Amino acid sequence: MPDPGQPRSRRKLPAGWLFISPWLVGLLLLFAYPFFASLYWSFCRYDLLSSPEWIGTEHYRRIATEIWNGDGFGNALWNTLYYAAFSVPLSIITAVLLAVMLSWRIRGQAIFRTLFFLPSIIPLVASSILWLWLLDPQSGLVNHLLGWLGLPPQLWFQGVQQAGHPGTFLEFGSKDALVLMSVWGVGNFMLIYLAALGDIPPQLYEAAALDGAGRCRRFWHVTLPMLSPLILFNLVLGLIKSFQAFTQVYLVSEGTGEPVGSTLLLSLHLFLAAFQDLEMGYTSAMAWLLFIVLFITTALLFRSSRHWVHYRTSLGG
Amino acid sequence: MHSSIRSWFMMAVPVLLVGSLAVLAWIVRPHSELPAGREEVVFWHFWGGTDRAVVEGIVERFNESQEQYFVRAVAMPGNNLDMKMFLAVTGGDPPDLINQDDPIVADWAHRDALMPLDEIAPADEIEQLESWLFPAARQLGSYRGRLYGLCNGLDIRALYYNRTVIGQRTGRRAPLQLESIEQLDKLAAACVLREGDKLTSLGYLPDPRRLWAWGVVFGGRFINSEGEVTPDDPAIVRALEWMTRYRDKWGADTLAAFRQGDQSLPGKTFPLLAGRYAIVMDGQWRVRDIPADRSGEFGVWQLPAPAGRERGADGWVNGNLFLVPRGCRSPRGAWEFMKFWSGFGGHEAEAARTCSQGGWIPPSQQVVDQPRFQQYLRQNPLFARFVELAAGEQVPTPVIPAARMYYREVNRAAERALYTDNPGNAASLLEEAAEKVRRQMERVGSREETR
Repeated sequence: MPDPGQPRSRRKLPAGWLFISPWLVGLLLLFAYPFFASLYWSFCRYDLLSSPEWIGTEHYRRIATEIWNGDGFGNALWNTLYYAAFSVPLSIITAVLLAVMLSWRIRGQAIFRTLFFLPSIIPLVASSILWLWLLDPQSGLVNHLLGWLGLPPQLWFQGVQQAGHPGTFLEFGSKDALVLMSVWGVGNFMLIYLAALGDIPPQLYEAAALDGAGRCRRFWHVTLPMLSPLILFNLVLGLIKSFQAFTQVYLVSEGTGEPVGSTLLLSLHLFLAAFQDLEMGYTSAMAWLLFIVLFITTALLFRSSRHWVHYRTSLGG
Repeated sequence: MHSSIRSWFMMAVPVLLVGSLAVLAWIVRPHSELPAGREEVVFWHFWGGTDRAVVEGIVERFNESQEQYFVRAVAMPGNNLDMKMFLAVTGGDPPDLINQDDPIVADWAHRDALMPLDEIAPADEIEQLESWLFPAARQLGSYRGRLYGLCNGLDIRALYYNRTVIGQRTGRRAPLQLESIEQLDKLAAACVLREGDKLTSLGYLPDPRRLWAWGVVFGGRFINSEGEVTPDDPAIVRALEWMTRYRDKWGADTLAAFRQGDQSLPGKTFPLLAGRYAIVMDGQWRVRDIPADRSGEFGVWQLPAPAGRERGADGWVNGNLFLVPRGCRSPRGAWEFMKFWSGFGGHEAEAARTCSQGGWIPPSQQVVDQPRFQQYLRQNPLFARFVELAAGEQVPTPVIPAARMYYREVNRAAERALYTDNPGNAASLLEEAAEKVRRQMERVGSREETR
């Protein structure tokens, strides 16, 4: 019998807890516990089968050495930074340009929109296999196209791009092939920009045109600033996604990160250390460093956003 | 009134949800096929396609022959069976038996995730088993003097060659046996085909992953008698130096481009069939990729040693092993099934039937000698060459903790030597790999001291 003296909100509290309990239990057991446990394990030698043994900062010192020597974690970090540095900006630029073009009112607009969005719904496994064929150095379609344009054939996934040897101009290797694959799946980003483009008030373009701005200047001074909040959103998402890229590298290198460790991105390096070398402590330390790097990068991006992201204010009327 | 309806509704929703879940669970409940009075043996394996049918056949025959055990085979095609097994052991619910072909025996045995076979079967039976197996099959499953895995099939490498191509391009009949590495080099050079500047077919191209085979044939050993890793053994360095001569001849980029897709895809993409090479090193499983109407075109050579040097070994071997995870429910049932499959303990005829159906190399000469298997060998002369080689000195990947890292690092060093233009000398690359693996072994070893 509910106590009539209790406020209504207090009486409903148990029911409220009950309803959110599945989520709460999931959060605590599947997220919070592993999250904090992995911090502890990062200071332990641990193989899952025996109890963790405290070894202090040994894993972090090992990681520092590997970064210094450019092998192990250092090589994987270099590969991931290379991949992120090219794939994220390229994906954003491609998505914005595609969205702008697809917003033009031309015949077959709906078909083009569907065609450009389609790759992003193809499963990553299927598209990775497809790209392996397309980028075959001997018989791949991409090298044939390059040949027609008078450009030299590329090694793509067979190109050994190691730390300190990223390839020279017009010489593309395994990491560039991964970047190319990432650009293929920009349909989701494109869709977001496309929706935002339709939301830009036409008065802004009219005012800019009256001031004598041409197409390019309207794009630069109206379209881009109006899209900038979404560019920030996609930049952060893209960065996180590129640091977590796993499926495509696992497939194209058959789970090895080859050739010569040049496609060994951080997530694959973590996977191999955890499940092949059974080094859960070292893996946890790497995962925490990855988390810190991502956290700082995202914070810096948000901090820098006040200089280049324009949030829309009310136009009145 | 409204409040009462709402209360009823609030109660009815969870009841309905739970009720629906219960009905769903009843509908999709696993239909137990376990016959009364039999103990279930859960067996995980990675075979798919035609091999899976062979596996199911063995399981069916075993189940028919049994009154005590009943094997339930779970196919897990792909290359993550070891990870699944590892997680199952960690979670306390492992299968009773798994089949694995990665060098993980020492890693898992070292961590006590596997049961040594002498804990399952009597000591005299294990002793008999050890003498029953081919030496290579025994070594593959042994760690620190105890047998942890029972080999059910060996993987042997040799050189496949195309008689027609060699005949056309050299103007001579292909030799029946290669005398030396130098003879291989000459044939390889004579069989090159170009269209303008572009190479369209090569005689032979060393694959970096095959340093394991060439290293031991050159006389090297990847581990010494003290159990230390020695990829920088001078003979292995010589083998890698010989492999890099192909890079010097053709250029690292040409080699890398030519290598794309080689030896990784089954069936018609076998590069030998496609005419991309005249000679290719591969395993016995490729025999069935060769169509029956073309089998006369191809032959198999044993790996040759350098001229003037004694052969270090016949080749490098790995294989499929049965492993029993610690904490499983029916190790005895797993043992009975292992014996039935591999042929040990009077099941040789059954194993001969299995190996003929699957095209697998038996782990024991006693299975090879079975009439049914001999007949199979007469019908498949290419395969028979591999079986002959299995009885020779085949050196397995060292059975040590960190074996997979060792395998990875040696392959990476060989890749760097073959596919980059200025990789440094072969010795320093292999020393670098050795150093990494030694450090890893020290880490694993220091864990052991505190255990």
